[in-house]
Amino acid sequence: MKRHSKASTYTARSCSKALAVILCAVCFCSAALAQGGELRFCLRSEPKTFDPLKVDDDASGAIRYLTGGVLIRENRQTQQLEPELALSWKVSKDGRQISFRLRSGIFFSDGTPFSAEDVAYTIQQLMDPALHSPTGDTFRSGIGSVETKVISATQVSIRFPAPVAGLDRLFDQVAILSEHSLKKEMAVLGPFMVADYKAGSSIILRRNPYYWKTDAQGRKLPYLDSIHLDIQPNRDVELLRFKRGEIDLINSLDSEYFDKLSATSPQVVHDAGPSLDSEQLWFNQAAKSPIPGYKKNWFRSTAFRRAISEAINRDDLSRVVYHGHAQPAFGPVSPANKFWFDNNLKPQTYDPETALNTLQNDGFRIENGTLKDKDGNSVVFSIITNAGNKARERMAVLIQDDLQKIGIHVNVVTLDFPSLIERMTQTFDYEAILLGLTNVDLDPNGEMNVWLSSSENHQWNPSQKVPETTWEAEMDRLMRAQASASDPNKRKEAFDRVQEIVAEQQPFIFLINKNALSAVSTSIHGAAPVILSPQTYWNAEWLTVAGK
Amino acid sequence: MSLGQRLACAVLVLVLGASFAANWLAPAGYARQYRDATDAPPSHTHWLGTDELGRDRFARVLYGTRISLLLAPAAALLSTLLAALIGGFAGYAGGAWKRAAMAITDLFLSLPWLFLLITARALLPLNVSPVVSVVVTFLLLGVLGWSSAARVLCASASSLRSSDFVRQARAAGIHGRRLFWMHVLPNLKPVLFAQFWISIPVFILSEANLGILGLGVAEPMPSWGSLLKELEGLVSVGEEPWRLVPLILLVIVVTSFQIVISNQEEVAA
Amino acid sequence: MTGAHVEPLLSVDVSVRYADKPPVLRDLKVELQRGEVLGLVGQSGSGKSTLAMTILGLLDKKQCHIEGAINFQGSDLLQLSERQLRALRGRTIALVLQSPLSALNPALKIRTQLKEAWRAHASGSPADCLLKIRSALQNVSLPSDDGFLRKYPSQMSVGQAQRVLIAMAILHRPGLLIADEATSALDVITQSEILSLFRELNRSTGMAILYISHDLASVAGICDRIAILHQGAIVECGTTQQIFDNPYHEYTQKLIAALPRIRSVPPASKILSASAT
Repeated sequence: MKRHSKASTYTARSCSKALAVILCAVCFCSAALAQGGELRFCLRSEPKTFDPLKVDDDASGAIRYLTGGVLIRENRQTQQLEPELALSWKVSKDGRQISFRLRSGIFFSDGTPFSAEDVAYTIQQLMDPALHSPTGDTFRSGIGSVETKVISATQVSIRFPAPVAGLDRLFDQVAILSEHSLKKEMAVLGPFMVADYKAGSSIILRRNPYYWKTDAQGRKLPYLDSIHLDIQPNRDVELLRFKRGEIDLINSLDSEYFDKLSATSPQVVHDAGPSLDSEQLWFNQAAKSPIPGYKKNWFRSTAFRRAISEAINRDDLSRVVYHGHAQPAFGPVSPANKFWFDNNLKPQTYDPETALNTLQNDGFRIENGTLKDKDGNSVVFSIITNAGNKARERMAVLIQDDLQKIGIHVNVVTLDFPSLIERMTQTFDYEAILLGLTNVDLDPNGEMNVWLSSSENHQWNPSQKVPETTWEAEMDRLMRAQASASDPNKRKEAFDRVQEIVAEQQPFIFLINKNALSAVSTSIHGAAPVILSPQTYWNAEWLTVAGK
Repeated sequence: MSLGQRLACAVLVLVLGASFAANWLAPAGYARQYRDATDAPPSHTHWLGTDELGRDRFARVLYGTRISLLLAPAAALLSTLLAALIGGFAGYAGGAWKRAAMAITDLFLSLPWLFLLITARALLPLNVSPVVSVVVTFLLLGVLGWSSAARVLCASASSLRSSDFVRQARAAGIHGRRLFWMHVLPNLKPVLFAQFWISIPVFILSEANLGILGLGVAEPMPSWGSLLKELEGLVSVGEEPWRLVPLILLVIVVTSFQIVISNQEEVAA
Repeated sequence: MTGAHVEPLLSVDVSVRYADKPPVLRDLKVELQRGEVLGLVGQSGSGKSTLAMTILGLLDKKQCHIEGAINFQGSDLLQLSERQLRALRGRTIALVLQSPLSALNPALKIRTQLKEAWRAHASGSPADCLLKIRSALQNVSLPSDDGFLRKYPSQMSVGQAQRVLIAMAILHRPGLLIADEATSALDVITQSEILSLFRELNRSTGMAILYISHDLASVAGICDRIAILHQGAIVECGTTQQIFDNPYHEYTQKLIAALPRIRSVPPASKILSASAT
């Protein structure tokens, strides 16, 4: 399950200050270092396309990030929007139109000049329904065509048929194409360009000689000459090559590898703190599920879900399973999401006694160490998770042990992923599932499909015709309200309430947020790993290699 | 009984005895999580240290031995018997019987087992106790594991069929089932024993691998399979040699069994 | 001189042909009287073993074509059902094969093999069975103690094994014993011992023996009559004396000429008396 990048944000702020801070920080490190050199790391799969408009996979996204020039960049460290090819922008009050003022004197990597016409061309291509661009889909909020208007060589405005929430943030994903270049999408505006590609093996990126950015001393960016990308799906091999010094960074490490590396060379590993990724447990509340009625009654009971949540020792999950590289989670938004996290949310403390009280008030009772419901059924249920994911299997076993303390017997079942998904989305033949969400997006609009009760991805009880509970009805209303509001504070107010409802109702019992773990060789200078993707090379244009 | 055989017997008795005395030898049990002492090295409280969840490895090895030492040979016996009956009979009967049995065997060998096992898992309820789950798994392994051995047995039985002693026995008026049981099957014994001994470690490991399909032993219960699986990705054997105990135990037990049986064979032959 | 009984014990008149091949046995005619020892001599490939298998009904009928009749004790063996044949095999017609070590089941103890052969035609108490086994073993001059009964074929000498086979064959006191190259695999001394055993059994039980061999010399010692088999047909049949003294068929003459040089062939009766003492 993935919440895809579908973002919108509040109106443009001045971000030049933030940029300046970064510039200084990086310049301080790099000033003494020579330019040039090669950065090497692994892509975990073959990029499916080099066309930035068609990107739908992580590897293609990485190429786009390194080669594409965008109008607005979401700073991966500050999580703020920053001007890139656009000097400034303005979103209209109705949220349907955005106008850009562009930099001048900028050239594509093949020397073709960049102008407002290229922006208009890119948007037209992007929104062409025949292209089926996943990036384009994020802009599609209503039926009708998108109008682009080139006002001058440096001014362009784009009008959408319906308001698009968080419109400006979406442009982080839109790499501008040249209308006139004969090299089509291979003519780029980003710091690097694709120089060589061996299918299944490697990709070499070279510095774009026409890249517009310079450092404080007036030196042209990027500092690096090239980036060597190896296509390597095997994580063990990746780790081994890192240890041998054949690659310079690993973008996301799991906690086990992190500890292994940290034991031998603590200076190369980075724990950037909790990421947006979460792991959660949920009970099947679907009416059409084939599970017994009395079990559905448990799962549909707020008290039951709350008690389970109270009886889970999240600190132990983080400590034992992730060796501390995870934070207990209490709600749908990671504290790493600086703007959207609801600071009023109270941490869920581990309290089996309260949990038992909660259950007893709901008609459950303990008999010979076994919890029974009011009809005398023993409380036994299964938690399924995908086989092969050690962290999830271990969390399930810890939860099994925790719940045994309040008389609940849990069976842990590991299934192959397709079987699990089939049970989760087709047959609804499950009782509880432990899975994670990979969150790539800061904006709650990306989570509409999870929280709306009518959605297929409303996992605990999907595709409801009308909301079956009052709290789901309220969540529907709040999610729609935040999507249509343009005032970010109003949006946040609504979404805070959603987070509070989730905390009260526990439809998802959030367990932990994994920390963003990465490794960067000591020969790389200027690296500042962050929680947002791409964690280690988000500032690739500022990185330098020592001793090369 | 030779010295080696006595020694092997003693080892087996010791291992089996220890596994059945697990309740006394490791009173804390295999599921107790010492969460403040995870992945600990051997100590006087945990003789083989603890696993990633802080569970006593010694207890897990003992309880795992109990499960696997009972069920893997049982499954191996089941599959060997099936192979003997189907392959042996087909080879002995010859003609249409042989063709039919070999067609079934080939079909069995070519079936996409992964999908069938996934289906089997889908048919099982999710809430099965760990014991039921592991018993069902070994039963499945036993029922499914006969086909390749059946081919070998069919070929052996085929050659036995035209042997002098079978002809002599037929000339003595012995016939049909009696001839098969008394004259053909005993001569398949070496092949059957080989099949049996190969099956045991194979089944122990298969049980562990079936975990990805939601079959096999379920947490928190240990089996040799699940213990061996923990060795996956173990890089620094030198630093944590105690983690190899389940593997060593498996080798010792299988070898001991073989010593005991093979010596009996020599005497018999 | 033998012969002249009105009804022979066994009267064979068969042709056997394997699919799409020239016939193995062509109008083979031979008769065997009660109590008689008939030698059937022919070189390898002449169809000797096929005849033995045909009489016992052990040829795979799907793979070969049999014509003619085999009259045994008044019924045509070729017309009998498998069930009826099975009742005959081992009980009234017994077989002893050439190589004792391969004809005994290597995986079974002597006792088990004999017990199986006994149980094929008799139901009785285990004690009764054991008694019969012991007596059969004594008949072939083998030890019959438990130690011997516990032996596997591989733990015995070839001669002992052959005697076990013979013991197995005479368990049910058959009227006819077919010995198919029964002594060919044995050394000369053992061979002569086994031959005397056959003769002795023939004398003491009146059991007729069809003695099939490629070796004319060994046959000469025990047979009343000899039939010469050549290319699937009997080319000459007569008393041992006749065959040796006055062979008329070219092939028989060749066989005799090929024998190790012996001044004169002793009459069968002399050997008989010698072995009886």
